[in-house]
Amino acid sequence: MTTGETIKKRVWLTFGSRRMVETPALWRMARKFPDVSFDIRQASVTAEIGIMAVLLEGPQPQVQAAMAFLQEQGVTVEPIEKSVVEG
Amino acid sequence: MAYIIGLRCRECGKEYPQKGVHVCEVCFGPLEVQYDYTRMKGKVTRESIERGPRSLWRYRDLLPINGEPRAGLYSGYTPLRRAHHLEKILNVRELYIKDDSANYPTWSYKERVVSVAITKALELGYHTVGCASTGNLANSVAAHAAVAGMKAFVMIPHDLEQGKVLGSLIFGPTMVRIQGNYDDVNRLCSEIADKYKWAIVNVNLRPFYTEGAKTFGYEIAEQLGWKFPQHTVCPTAGGTILPKIHKAYQELIDLGLVENTAPKIYSAQAAGCNPVVEAIRAGRDLIKPQKPKTIAKSIAIGNPADGFYVVQAVRQSGGWAMDATDPEIIDAIKLLARAEGIWTEPAGGTTLAATIKLIESGRIPRDESICVCITGNGLKTTEVVADQLAMPTSIPPKLEAFDAFIAELDNTGGTRELEPLTT
Repeated sequence: MTTGETIKKRVWLTFGSRRMVETPALWRMARKFPDVSFDIRQASVTAEIGIMAVLLEGPQPQVQAAMAFLQEQGVTVEPIEKSVVEG
Repeated sequence: MAYIIGLRCRECGKEYPQKGVHVCEVCFGPLEVQYDYTRMKGKVTRESIERGPRSLWRYRDLLPINGEPRAGLYSGYTPLRRAHHLEKILNVRELYIKDDSANYPTWSYKERVVSVAITKALELGYHTVGCASTGNLANSVAAHAAVAGMKAFVMIPHDLEQGKVLGSLIFGPTMVRIQGNYDDVNRLCSEIADKYKWAIVNVNLRPFYTEGAKTFGYEIAEQLGWKFPQHTVCPTAGGTILPKIHKAYQELIDLGLVENTAPKIYSAQAAGCNPVVEAIRAGRDLIKPQKPKTIAKSIAIGNPADGFYVVQAVRQSGGWAMDATDPEIIDAIKLLARAEGIWTEPAGGTTLAATIKLIESGRIPRDESICVCITGNGLKTTEVVADQLAMPTSIPPKLEAFDAFIAELDNTGGTRELEPLTT
C-alpha cells in the first residue's frame, strides 16, 4: 500500500570509506523500500571511495525515508547540485 | 559579436540550447558553455580586447551573452599588483597580487560571476534572481539585482550574524532565514531552485555564472603584458574559479593571444575544510565530503560542486595543492596588510599562507613568477582579526604624555617594529 505524491529526487550518493564501499547499502534500501526505484546515471567506485549519481523515484514519504535510511547506513546523500550555499 | 553556441554536458557530451539548466538530464553531469572558437580566431585579438571598457566586459566576446551587458558595467579589471615587500620577506624574485578585494561594488570576485549570471538571466527572460549564501555571493547578487531592476531572493542560515545580513539587506532583496543545519539549508535551496522558475545564479544558471570567473584569468594575463605567471595560487571553495582560470589561460593560448609557457595552477584550502587538497595529495579524482571547521567561512564548502574539475585542472597544469591552519591564515592576513596594504578576508589569507608553504616546501621555485589570487575583502570579516590586534594606547591630551608614549615605544623597540622596507 503506497500513499503520497510520486516524486523524483536526483542525488549524489557518496560511499566515503572502504567499509562503506563494501556495504550493500543500495540493496538494503531496495529491500526495505520496494516502492522506491533507483536509477544509476553515473558512478565511479574505487576500493576507498564510491560516488553515484542516482535518480530515486516513488511516493514522497518513501523516497524521503529511503534517503534517511541511506544516511543512517553511512552513505552521504546530497542534492545533485551538491553545495549550493556559497560564502 | 556573440560566439556562444549552446551548452554541452562535460561527462556524456549531450548538447543543450541556451536556457536555465545546469545538469545533464541523462547522466546528471554539469553543463558547460560552448563557443565557436574557429570563428573567434583573428577577430578576438589583443587589440579588440584592449579597445574594450575597463571592466570585465572587455572580454565579452569570450563570455556567454548574446546582447549587451546588463550588470557589472563597472566590475572587474581589478589591480594586478607587484608585491615588492612580500618578495623581500618571502625571498622570491617576482610576486604579484591579483586583488579582487577591490572589485566593485561589493568587494569580491563574485562580481564577475554574478554580472554574467544576471545579464544572462535578463536575456533568458527571468525577472527574479536568487542565491543561497552566507556572505559575498549574497552581497553581490543583491547589489547587481538592484541595479538591474530585478527582484532578488537571498536564502541564508537562520543563525547568520547580523553584520553579514546587513551587507545584503541594504540593497533591498527579500531575505529568508532558513532554520536547520547546513545540510537542511542546502537541500531546501536545491528544492527551491527546482520548483520556482527563478534564476538561482549558482544553480540553474551555473553554466553561465561560472564563465564569469574566466575574467579573473584573462585579466592576470593581460595585465602582465599578455603573458602568464609561472605559478598561480587560487583558493578553492565550490571549485568555480580555479578551473575557469585554467580554461581562460587555455583559451588565450588557443586563440594565439598568449604564448604557452605552461603556467601551473595551485589550489589553496583551509586545513579545516580541505577535501580538494586531500584528494590531490592522495592522488584521487574523487572528493570525500567533509564537515567544515575553519575560520575561512567563505571557502568552507565540504563537498565542492566542481571539486572534481579543480583536481583535473591542477593536474593538467602541473600544479599542486596546499592547505593552511587557522593561525597560519590569520598570520597571512596580517602579513598581506602590513607588507602590501591589502586587507583580505580569510580566503585570501588562506591563499597567501598556502603560497608561502608551497614556496618553503620547494613546490614553487623562488626564482619564478608567482601570482596570488585575492578574492575578497577583510572589512567584511573584522571578527577574524579583532582579538588579534592590541587596542591602541590611550593617553591624556598633553604633549608630555605623547612624549612619554614615544619614549616607551623606543624602549620596547616598538618604533622599529614596522620599519619601512626599501624597494
